[in-house]
Amino acid sequence: MGRYFLRRLLQAIPVLFGTTFLIYVLVWQLPGDPFVGRCGDRVCPEAFVNAMNEQFRLDEPLLIQYGHYIANLLQGDLGLTYNMTPVSDLVVQAAPITLRLALVALAFEVVIGVIAGVIAGLRRNSFFDNLVFVSTLLALSIPTFVLGRFLQWLLGVRWGIITPSVSGDATWGELIVPGIVIATTTTAILARLARTTIAENLRADYVRTAIAKGMPPRRVIGVHLLRNSLIPIVTLIGLDLGTLMVGAVVTEGIFNINGLGGLVYDHVLRLDSTVVVPVATLFVLIYIFANLIVDLIYGVLDPRIRYE
Amino acid sequence: MTLQNGDSGDYSGPLLEVEHLEVEFHTRAGIVKAVNDVSFTVDSRETLAVLGESGSGKSVTAQTIMGILDMPPAVITGGAVRFRGTDLLTLSEPQRRAIRGQGISIIFQDALSALNPVFSVGWQIAEMFRVHRGMSRKDARKRAIELMERVHIPAAAQRVDDFPHQFSGGMRQRIMIAMAIALDPDVLIADEPTTALDVTVQAQIMELLGEIQRDSGMGMILITHDLGVVADIADRTTVMYAGRVMEQAGVFETYQAPAHPYTKGLLDSIPRLDQKGGVLHTITGTPPDLLDTPSGCVFHPRCRFRKDDCLTQAPPLYEVGEGRTSACHYYPEVLDDAGR
Repeated sequence: MGRYFLRRLLQAIPVLFGTTFLIYVLVWQLPGDPFVGRCGDRVCPEAFVNAMNEQFRLDEPLLIQYGHYIANLLQGDLGLTYNMTPVSDLVVQAAPITLRLALVALAFEVVIGVIAGVIAGLRRNSFFDNLVFVSTLLALSIPTFVLGRFLQWLLGVRWGIITPSVSGDATWGELIVPGIVIATTTTAILARLARTTIAENLRADYVRTAIAKGMPPRRVIGVHLLRNSLIPIVTLIGLDLGTLMVGAVVTEGIFNINGLGGLVYDHVLRLDSTVVVPVATLFVLIYIFANLIVDLIYGVLDPRIRYE
Repeated sequence: MTLQNGDSGDYSGPLLEVEHLEVEFHTRAGIVKAVNDVSFTVDSRETLAVLGESGSGKSVTAQTIMGILDMPPAVITGGAVRFRGTDLLTLSEPQRRAIRGQGISIIFQDALSALNPVFSVGWQIAEMFRVHRGMSRKDARKRAIELMERVHIPAAAQRVDDFPHQFSGGMRQRIMIAMAIALDPDVLIADEPTTALDVTVQAQIMELLGEIQRDSGMGMILITHDLGVVADIADRTTVMYAGRVMEQAGVFETYQAPAHPYTKGLLDSIPRLDQKGGVLHTITGTPPDLLDTPSGCVFHPRCRFRKDDCLTQAPPLYEVGEGRTSACHYYPEVLDDAGR
């Protein structure tokens, strides 16, 4: 297991280089002059533009720029924004808010998605099963930004139940609706996956054995059946961390949340790649790490999986 | 509910009694009559072999006794399953649950799929003690090791935490047996316990079942299609075909002089070493489609003793001798027929 862990960490290195390079090239290749509108109503003086170009090495070839970026990154230096604020400061401020949002979304997914899916799987073709089918279909058909804008308008503007824009503190309560918006798609997929897995395993021989052993239904389902059905569910939840982060960019933008996603959203609009690239790199790191954790959990959930 | 060992009170009838059992499956294609007027009894220290090919209703009968039938699609349309005089079919689910594992338990054909893949074998055996007896984890584990030793699993104490996939087929079946006998049930149903195993391992498992039965005095229902397995261990046989009982007799009589053409066909189709080079005898035709069973006697399309009335009149179970029945109008001819 230790060796497996090490090998997976080593495998992450080329992945990290490849993805950061792609992100770097794509983001810095965005068309547009980053210094337009940076000096109020006037056109920026040439001296300022030259100084900025020098400071951020914008005159140098892209590969050299990337080299400098990676070299700094390895020393833990995320660089400066065009406003000369350290990117790391922004990240430190924003990360807890996104973490909180992700936890709200994750909790919603796991509680609602898994429970709805398990019940639907246990009672196939019942009214509840059909209800889950229709509502997940609806949830899957609505894009995140549409649902976000709609709920913001309905609950925030029309009914006034929530504040349409999340405050700087981003309290748990304020993050519930944005969290649900992010979680909607995955909740629907999770519910369907859980339903299929449960319905399939319900017919498994070991479930019949558990019943024949005189185990109460609570134990047959809660222990014997659920434990075997967890593997695909855990996989999906792990992979979903990526969706959570992507969803966070759009949703944090809509609800004006000052998390990592909001940071990316704002700076993409401002053509400030100095922030977009490091934060995207951070997303990649989280994603790789989450997948590694999922792979390790497999071994705990299913003893037939061995790491050599 | 007190239906555990020794609580029989003044009840003196048969230990387990299946009476005129009728089970149907309601499928999209129609109603399948899987079990049709099946009756038999099992007593303590007795082994009843239920013989029949695939689809003859023997496993459905076993699952009905255990109460683990999938309902729907299955529907029990008639009959009774009496355990120590109480009709199990009239009990509530919690009452039946108390009997499963303690009063009647079952071992299945394929131990690999019947055991839960994600729990250790020790945990799965110990679960019986923890749930039914409320034992602590530690005590239950100790009992699990004892049981693994009882079914002759080598190095039981070391292997108690291993998982089903780490055992061989024969060892897995031993674990199934350990789990089934954990609470000293009165009746053990063995549903094709050796079908998935090598011939040598089959013999070991049957020997183990015989040994456990001798020690514990439980009644056993051995469901099989393997006539070789039956001869050594069974006391009586019930032969089933198309969900119906064809013949019931002591195991010796069954082999010596079958009273039903189907039983005769089964026995004749066993390959014999002393008749090398000959053509292997078979029962011509195929088992009937249970959605559309033949009129009269269900076996008539394949029967070489068939007469006209077999096509129209379903035979009752004729009394052939002492504790012997046959569902054939012409059983005397079958009994007299010596040659092939």
